[in-house]
Amino acid sequence: MKFFTKERLANSIVILCLATFVLWYAFDAHRASNSLDNMILILPVAAITLCLCIYDFFLGANNTKEKKQKQESIATVMPVMILFSLYVLTLEYVGFDVGTVLFIALFLFFHGETKWMWIAGYSLVFGLLIAYFFSLMLPYPMPMLIFPTDY
Amino acid sequence: MNIIDTGAAQEAFALLFSQPQYWLVVIPGIIIGLFFGATPGLQTSMAMAIFLPMTLYMDFLQAMLFLTAIFTGGGFGAGVPAILMNIPGTSSAIATAFDGYPMAKQGKHNEALGLALGSSTFGVLLGYVLLFFLIKPMSMFVLKLGPSEMFIVILWGLTLIASLTGDHVIKGLIAGLFGLLVGTVGFSEAGVMRGTMDFELLADGIPAIPAMMGMFAASELFKLVKSEFLVEDENKRKVRISQILDGFKQAFQYPVILIRGSIIGVLIGAVPGVGSSVSNLLSYIETKRRDKDPESYGKGNPKGVVASEAANSTSEAGSMATLLALGIPGGGATAVMLAAFAMHNITGGPQFIREEMDIVYAIIFANFGQVFLLIILGLLLIPLLASIIKVKMTYLVPSVLVLAVCGAFGLTGNMSGPITVLVFSMIGWIFRRYNFSVPAAVIGMLLGSMAESSLVQTLQISGGDFSYVLERPITLVIMALLLFSLFGAKLIKRFTKTA
Repeated sequence: MKFFTKERLANSIVILCLATFVLWYAFDAHRASNSLDNMILILPVAAITLCLCIYDFFLGANNTKEKKQKQESIATVMPVMILFSLYVLTLEYVGFDVGTVLFIALFLFFHGETKWMWIAGYSLVFGLLIAYFFSLMLPYPMPMLIFPTDY
Repeated sequence: MNIIDTGAAQEAFALLFSQPQYWLVVIPGIIIGLFFGATPGLQTSMAMAIFLPMTLYMDFLQAMLFLTAIFTGGGFGAGVPAILMNIPGTSSAIATAFDGYPMAKQGKHNEALGLALGSSTFGVLLGYVLLFFLIKPMSMFVLKLGPSEMFIVILWGLTLIASLTGDHVIKGLIAGLFGLLVGTVGFSEAGVMRGTMDFELLADGIPAIPAMMGMFAASELFKLVKSEFLVEDENKRKVRISQILDGFKQAFQYPVILIRGSIIGVLIGAVPGVGSSVSNLLSYIETKRRDKDPESYGKGNPKGVVASEAANSTSEAGSMATLLALGIPGGGATAVMLAAFAMHNITGGPQFIREEMDIVYAIIFANFGQVFLLIILGLLLIPLLASIIKVKMTYLVPSVLVLAVCGAFGLTGNMSGPITVLVFSMIGWIFRRYNFSVPAAVIGMLLGSMAESSLVQTLQISGGDFSYVLERPITLVIMALLLFSLFGAKLIKRFTKTA
């Protein structure tokens, strides 16, 4: 079996990221307080997780039955993730009303919807309805650009 | 001790049927509950809080019937998005998504929703029957439970991590333990901040339900973005009442799972702070562990839906036992009910049980009636809800993502909810792609802070002397049950083989 396959490299990076998070978190918790109350769960769980990460990093590939699964390509998923990130991160500035309408319209456009009437109609009706419904139902103000809000 | 007060039971019947307006509030209550439960991010407790002021115009019994109707409707409603969209709107429907969503993807959405309705209604009914007989002994039992017992119960829930690892055991365990650590981020029991990177929004920890929405739903939607429909086969996309009814009836083909789930639900539901979030997982673990074909779970096994829904719906009765008999709210929904108690100048607890037993029985009897109304309303509304399966993915993906984001904002009241959905949708996608178990991570996250606080409280009460646990008979009994459920079947098999 080839050790440095593309898939194995990606898997190793994920394991390394997880191990880094676990190490950082254990140190951060210890820095905050090294009392037994604070470390009683974190320390043993972090230690076990790190051991498992080390095991998987070095020996995981030998023990895993590789299954060829039909996976979506990163090129398909990445644009959706970027659009979704833009939607969430700009919500405070463009509001739930305008942000939601824009997100739905752009999503439909980039995913092959060619009828402009459908894009405009669905994004406006669904987006504004959802934003208005949640602003009406929730007991705290939501960021809005068109609808009135106390945010 | 007389466990049933027959005089009070007769009075309760007379009271319930003395005025029709008692029943008039039940139907809108169930519909409100169904609607809020089925909308990701809108909680049953939120519905009860929003409609609480309306109960000022009702008498106490009518107010309780209205609120319990919302509770009942919401309990079933939460399973609907778990099955159709892989979004467990509340933590009590996590295990429903494990098999419900794969069933929907196989075109068995009608059966899955019918199964959920059948198990939920059975669960509510059996839960209230148990409450009718056991309200007094149960309240005594709950008083004897301390943090050490709760820790063992949570530990039991955590064993599910090991059984959800699939083909990749090590990665599954890493995912579960990672979730456990993430669940402890924020202010600790020791009063210090950990893992927050000085973000104030993280002081209360990472919001578990938005994180769950991101890991389960959003990450799955990223994967489905190029599919035309959730179910590819056009014939399987149809919404058929006959199949929903088949699913409803099929739930009763598993009486052992239903009864076991209901008993777990009512007992765990009575434990404040744990409730339905853990009961659905425990019921699922036990059903999977005892099944001849545990590998089929997580791939659309109807028994998984039955186990989860029977337990989470019965938890309602368990939490009502603690509320009525002790005046302690077990979760958000019963906390709102406690507010309704206060609004009507009533205090729950032993005195309430002693003096107002007819009201307690009337609430229980009304819930028997609510079960039948839930069946009718559920069967009428499910076809409408199930139509989601006919929507093109191009439209469904952004709509569900928007619902998750708005719902997450609704849960946290600030931008930490939507940002959590975003971050965990990416983590969830990476986990799925590289075979780290997403359900194991979610369970770890949900139970992490619960496990830590009960462990710390046990440590503080015992003064660091763990022989304290040996002096707690209920802890030992639960521990023995846990060990038996883990290793009992294997030991018996080995013993019978050698004999």
